[in-house]
Amino acid sequence: MKKCFASLYNGLIKENPTFVLMLGMCPTLAVTTSAMNGVGMGLTTTAVLIMSNIMISMLRRVIPDGVRIPAFIVVIASFVTITELLLKAYIPSLYEALGLYIPLIVVNCIILGRAESFASKNNMIYSAFDGLGMGLGFTLGLTCIGIVRELIGAGTVFGYRALPDAYEPLTIFILAPGAFLVLAFLVALMNRIKLAAGRDTGVTGDCDKLCRNCPNTGCGGRMRHDGKADSAEGRKR
Amino acid sequence: MGSSIKNILCLTLITLAAGAGLGYVYDLTKEPIARMEAETRQAAYRSVFPEADQFTPLENDGSIPGFSEADENGCEIDSAVYAEDASGSRLGYVINVTSHEGYGGDITISMGIDNEGCVKGVEFLEISETAGLGMKAKEPAFKEQFRDRTVTRFSYTKTGAASDFEIDAISGATITTTAVTSAVNAGLEFYEKIGGAGI
Amino acid sequence: MIQQLIIIAIGSAFINNVVLSQFLGICPFLGVSKKINTAAGMGSAVVFVITLASAVAGVIYRFILVPLDITYLQTIVFILVIAALVQFVEMFLKKKMKGLYQALGVYLPLITTNCAVLGVALTNVQKEYSLLEGVVNGFATAVGFLVAIVILAGLREKMEYNDIPKPFRGMPTVLLTACLMAIAFFGFSGLK
Repeated sequence: MKKCFASLYNGLIKENPTFVLMLGMCPTLAVTTSAMNGVGMGLTTTAVLIMSNIMISMLRRVIPDGVRIPAFIVVIASFVTITELLLKAYIPSLYEALGLYIPLIVVNCIILGRAESFASKNNMIYSAFDGLGMGLGFTLGLTCIGIVRELIGAGTVFGYRALPDAYEPLTIFILAPGAFLVLAFLVALMNRIKLAAGRDTGVTGDCDKLCRNCPNTGCGGRMRHDGKADSAEGRKR
Repeated sequence: MGSSIKNILCLTLITLAAGAGLGYVYDLTKEPIARMEAETRQAAYRSVFPEADQFTPLENDGSIPGFSEADENGCEIDSAVYAEDASGSRLGYVINVTSHEGYGGDITISMGIDNEGCVKGVEFLEISETAGLGMKAKEPAFKEQFRDRTVTRFSYTKTGAASDFEIDAISGATITTTAVTSAVNAGLEFYEKIGGAGI
Repeated sequence: MIQQLIIIAIGSAFINNVVLSQFLGICPFLGVSKKINTAAGMGSAVVFVITLASAVAGVIYRFILVPLDITYLQTIVFILVIAALVQFVEMFLKKKMKGLYQALGVYLPLITTNCAVLGVALTNVQKEYSLLEGVVNGFATAVGFLVAIVILAGLREKMEYNDIPKPFRGMPTVLLTACLMAIAFFGFSGLK
């Protein structure tokens, strides 16, 4: 039981996928134009993550090592499609808001990364909690970015007016450049806190470390720090 | 060789199982999705033509010009229905128009027009504009501007609407405003084409 | 017809740039943009794969999924097709075109989960593009990616020895650079 809570803490704070691991950047930047969209995307990803983690953990002894990655992708893609259909049927407003980014959850590094580095090695219950923790951490990250962008860019939070009417919203924050800007400052803030705490163990989002540490072998996992990729044989080990 | 056959077999099995599972869920959700779409549509129709009690489809037998052809502003008439009162007499039309010129993709609106050519309301069926900007089109402050106006063509202004045919643009979202306005105009044009109250 | 294709091409390459406005393919954009050479290699590999993948995905969607009425399987089918295609291209280049393989080979396996590839295949379906339009859209989108990643790599090379405040070192600076590029690319929306 203790291990379950540990993995929740791990996902939410210690290895927060957005701010610490810097995984799943595409949806992080794309759908956070409002806090509500951030929550929606985060929870959708959480649902897929929990289900795929459970399924992959169940199948971990059945799937041969050689076709591991394709098998994981099939499992993940099925759960994404199921989630897409369910959203379309029961929460159409969310489906409309997230649009193309729902099917793109398939290629979200977090999900394949967790499947590869956690679910394929641990039992079902731990994997489920790991999925929950990571998913909620992702949701937390998206919501933070969404709140900042919505507050500065539209003067509202979750659709409610938060700043006085006299405030002229800085529209750029809900447009594409604002996503890069807000994330840059939030990561810098994280670095600042870490530096102040004296834990100078490396700056978050250092590109070299980022790619070396990425647990997702399908993504940048095989990038060495000198910027060259390992040969394709790495996958067939 | 044996191991690669095992690999292929295993992957095939997983894919087949996944496909079957998806087929099952698809069957399960097919009906709720259709029902949800129909409900959204009905709700939109009711809101753009509050006086009407029922809506019957206007059959497109090919004799009506302007169906499913994008005009010069990238707007296209999807479908139209008659708005009728409880006894079945026609009060006007609800016309569905898609504009391909939105900022984040297609925008589909539903608009009600009565027999006198008065716009009864505008509602969005499909819109994926930027939250907090183009999405403001969905707010009453913008879309209610079209309600109960009898004009032949709308235009938008950024300096405060002064006359009946002018509407205030959404600040910072000119593309969305243009798309919605030309969609409404395409609907009005279509209404003229089908002869107003004539049919 | 030609005009239509040019509009699609310019729109996908510049106005709705795949990285800077749609946020697809962010991982390689941030991760492989340290040197112009590697960035150009990655970009060319993406151009190659996306163009091919949008053609293959388009054919499969049009001639298999639609007739069988199983379009809801598109996500799973596309991702498998892309993965298989990348493998196949890699094997083919290794055997038949040594030179090209040496230039692009190392990047190919990284592309499978580049969401731009799947993104383009899905956009082609969503926007109801014809086969030709889909391929042109794919090619243009990938060219947009190539342009963006090469520019970013150039900027990063220039900044390499700058004295940047400590918390901003690494990723934040890259993100800020991307932000400025995105603002610059807004200029293209005037082309519409």
